[in-house]
Amino acid sequence: MDVRVLLFGPQAAAAGCETISVSLPPGATCADLRGVLGDKLPVLLPSLKESRIALNSEFAADSTRIGAGDEVALIGLVSGG
Amino acid sequence: MTISVLIIDGPLGPPPPSVVAQGAGALCTFEGFVRPTEGAIPIEALNYQAYQPMAQTMLERLANDMKAKHGVMRIFMQHSRGRVAVGQCSFRLVVASRHRQEALAALDEFINCMKRDVPIWKNPVYILLPADR
Repeated sequence: MDVRVLLFGPQAAAAGCETISVSLPPGATCADLRGVLGDKLPVLLPSLKESRIALNSEFAADSTRIGAGDEVALIGLVSGG
Repeated sequence: MTISVLIIDGPLGPPPPSVVAQGAGALCTFEGFVRPTEGAIPIEALNYQAYQPMAQTMLERLANDMKAKHGVMRIFMQHSRGRVAVGQCSFRLVVASRHRQEALAALDEFINCMKRDVPIWKNPVYILLPADR
């Protein structure tokens, strides 16, 4: 299953891109995605632990499975205000 | 309308004439402005990035939660998106309530929750010194 992950803010700047495509096995969870992102973009490793995953604009637990067609976003430390 | 949440392109203009709710005895306003430094490094602006529609949805949910929890009468919020120069306003939160305590509490908790959870980021635009050019 190919998933496109949205990146924002400092993480997008560090990665040099605002989206990244990753390949996940069927039934993969947000925790699995976190691992794949760390492998594919080591520059994000320091910030991955404190980041959250959003599926379809809602925060998702690490145990949540990612479905085909989900909008997936990596939400690093936010800094609004 | 008792809740108004707006994400606006660029710096925020002057506050609206009045957001006082009927019967309110307190009106608390917080405005945030872009500081001239970010981590002690001079900047010329901040570029705000919002993940939409999640940011809008979360801000509206937060406003509803604060209104219910603190019993305030009106919440009006504006947040910038895009470039905001140093000294310009990028965030405004106005809370109206019967008494000051609930407005102050709602205002403080709203900002804390927003800074923790709402997907908005600020990207500093650093001033290029001659040696950097």
